[in-house]
Amino acid sequence: MTQSETKSVDQTAGPQSLMKVSDLTIAYPMEEGEIFRALKKLSIDIAPGQIVGIVGESGAGKSTIGKASLGLLDDNAIIETGSVTLDGAVISGLLEEGYDAIRGKKIGYIYQNPMTALNPVLTIGEQLIEAIEANTEKRGDDARDYAISLLEKAEVPYAEDRLSKYPHQLSGGLCQRIVFAIAISAKPDLIIADEPTTALDVTVQKAVLETLRSLAKQDNIAIILITHDMSVVANMCDYVYVLRYGELVEHGPTRQILTEPKEDYSRELMASIPRIDHYVERFAVPGLGNVKDRTRALAYLMEHKTDQTIPKGEPLLKVRNISKTFVSEAGIFTSASPFKALDDVSFDVYSGETLGIVGESGSGKSTIGRIILGLHESDPGHEILYKGRNIAELTSRKDRLAHCMSLQCIFQDPYSSLNPRMSAGNNITYALQSNGLLSGSAARELAGDLLELVGLSRSDASKMPHAFSGGERQRIGIARALSFRPDFIFCDEPTSALDVTVQAELLNLLKDLQDELGLTMLFVSHDLAVVRQMCDRVLVMKSGKVMEAGPCAEVLTTPKDDYTKSLLDAMPRIVFE
Amino acid sequence: MSKQDPTRLEKIWKAFRGHPIAIAGLIGITFFLLVAFFAPLLAPQNPYDQTQLDILDGLLPPMSQLGTGQTSWLGTDALGRDILSAVMYGLRISLFVSFVAVIVGSGLGVFLGLLAAMKRGWVETVIMRSVDLKMSFPGILLALMLLAMFGTGVDKVIYALIIGAWASKARLVRSVALSEMKKEYIDAARLAGIGNLRIMLRFLLPNSISPVLVVLPMAISGAITAEATLSFLGVGVPITEPSLGLLIANGNDYLLSGKWWISIFPGLVLVAMVLCINVVADRIRDHANPYLRGKE
Repeated sequence: MTQSETKSVDQTAGPQSLMKVSDLTIAYPMEEGEIFRALKKLSIDIAPGQIVGIVGESGAGKSTIGKASLGLLDDNAIIETGSVTLDGAVISGLLEEGYDAIRGKKIGYIYQNPMTALNPVLTIGEQLIEAIEANTEKRGDDARDYAISLLEKAEVPYAEDRLSKYPHQLSGGLCQRIVFAIAISAKPDLIIADEPTTALDVTVQKAVLETLRSLAKQDNIAIILITHDMSVVANMCDYVYVLRYGELVEHGPTRQILTEPKEDYSRELMASIPRIDHYVERFAVPGLGNVKDRTRALAYLMEHKTDQTIPKGEPLLKVRNISKTFVSEAGIFTSASPFKALDDVSFDVYSGETLGIVGESGSGKSTIGRIILGLHESDPGHEILYKGRNIAELTSRKDRLAHCMSLQCIFQDPYSSLNPRMSAGNNITYALQSNGLLSGSAARELAGDLLELVGLSRSDASKMPHAFSGGERQRIGIARALSFRPDFIFCDEPTSALDVTVQAELLNLLKDLQDELGLTMLFVSHDLAVVRQMCDRVLVMKSGKVMEAGPCAEVLTTPKDDYTKSLLDAMPRIVFE
Repeated sequence: MSKQDPTRLEKIWKAFRGHPIAIAGLIGITFFLLVAFFAPLLAPQNPYDQTQLDILDGLLPPMSQLGTGQTSWLGTDALGRDILSAVMYGLRISLFVSFVAVIVGSGLGVFLGLLAAMKRGWVETVIMRSVDLKMSFPGILLALMLLAMFGTGVDKVIYALIIGAWASKARLVRSVALSEMKKEYIDAARLAGIGNLRIMLRFLLPNSISPVLVVLPMAISGAITAEATLSFLGVGVPITEPSLGLLIANGNDYLLSGKWWISIFPGLVLVAMVLCINVVADRIRDHANPYLRGKE
């Protein structure tokens, strides 16, 4: 398309509409002549000053809308049908120069990760003033004063001092506020915010979103908020579009979509969201079939259940006074600085229960698990008793192997937790075979049984990990952990990288498995609502210390500790007054 | 995934499709490999067999008639040896020496690199400082020193080239393996009680080897030239088993007296060979680079 088409007026855009996406289809040619359509005949309408949410799971094509509006599509993308119009002028498919008048000036863009969106080698002031000079008439001291006023507007404390700081000296939340300040510098009509709080901790998420909302309201800026998080939508948006596989599923005012969704998919999406205010036995999502039916795998798993060695009332795992200090290596000009990741933590886990550990990033919650599993050494002066035996005293190879197998882990990142050069089946059973506990044919049998147990098919055993989605890989990870017939599973944020419906399926599966096998779990998460659904008791951690511990229902509804209260307050909720 | 994964051959073909120069290189390499392998069958005479040589045939220009009635396409050297046959046999020696040296040297380097990444601590320090030490010598100087110590001979040249080849691969593999070591599948293997050697061979190696495979062809062409240089300098292969470098050196004395064919033909073959390998190596490197791949 040529630049002259920018001036052709789209008749369909009424006076009410600021931006209009009509019938947009965006295609990517793939190898072997196939075509992948990221968006299919999508139409969206945004009024001035309106905050519109676009929700959907990964692969729904949410980000493609924002990219198409700003000419940021990949080189090989083809706009097959439709267009994007802003104030009646077509802005999709322009030449690069055509966007100069749009980017920054009419449409601002806010990225997912503020730490990578800002240039690490320029100061905040330089980056802000550069944006101001590019998009406005202000120069020199004027630009500087305007920069300070923008930062104040974006609620950055000590605005003037921050100008001389570099991005790495500021927190993620502050950086995102600075990105906001840059985005509003030219007073655009529209801001496209692509998952603006996904990279931030919950406690700052709420305040950052508040700022964005008030900025938009002050200057009557419309916002397209692209997110996977329904609670963000509930708190921010006037109107919601639900997308799936590039197609529009449903749209309507936020309240209607969230409380009375009409389409099956929207209903499923809403039912998948873990709620902190009430506990559900299982999420109402189409399940993976019933675990109970898969008797062969269950029979294998129950065969050697002999943890009757622990007397009643004694904990399965007893952790006493573990501390962990990481010492950074001394540099040429800096001395070694110790960092206390864990400070004197003690707790018990009883057989068959799930203990949750919650806290923000850096609170040391994963470190606890890694020490229990033996992947990290703890500082001296601790004691970890598993099944009544001190794990430090397990020295023979046989004892250590049995201990290893009894304690397993479900990892956080499904994309790095499987060996990419081994088939799914080998990933599950390689260890048992290499330890001489399983013959080749028995291993294939077991891998098939376990894959069925976690809701995959037997034939998946021969596929390589890259052929699976994140949720499927995580299930392979669960099958691998189960192959050892463990009594105790450490779940290290097992669903934090997954979409919400996939998370619901996986949490249902874990609950099913726990009911059938009587597994004991230590469940680490930053998501209080997930912990509420999964755990019997919970530890709340901050900076390596346990702030509060107790039954989940109690701690997460009537917290005693101030920090727990602040965590709960910051939690985005879907509540309509 | 309904579609079948492409086979290895299909993958290789995909890397070359639409790149005529690289395909020409590939054909060239195949040609040279076949000639080297079947040299005893293809060559008009056996240049090592003294009984087949006639001193009276010495220094004949290309297309001359030999005493046996055969035509010498590329001329003969001072001993009456047919240059075409000598080049074919020389190719054999050059390729054998460089392939063996690069494969053994790279294998050693990969093992040491993986070991450094897995063990960390003093093992890593020793390995990586040895790499630094090796890298601080100019390659050809190091090889000259080693050959001065070992003496000459095909096996000695191979040793010298192995010592030249391992260090860069060790460094390359270590850097990849270090980031692989941080991934959760390694933790999972540890938790499963899998031994260190198995973790190295089944988990770390397959996931860290790709960059080495990409630089391997380039290393082979490097080794071919290094071997030719050493032989040219007279410290390489013995005179009884002439490689391309030695053939060039033999003709060097006659170059100024107008007997150009003795040096030029082995030289041309050497250049063509290295060029073929390099265009193929370039293609493989570009294909393996995800940034460039998107632009194709």
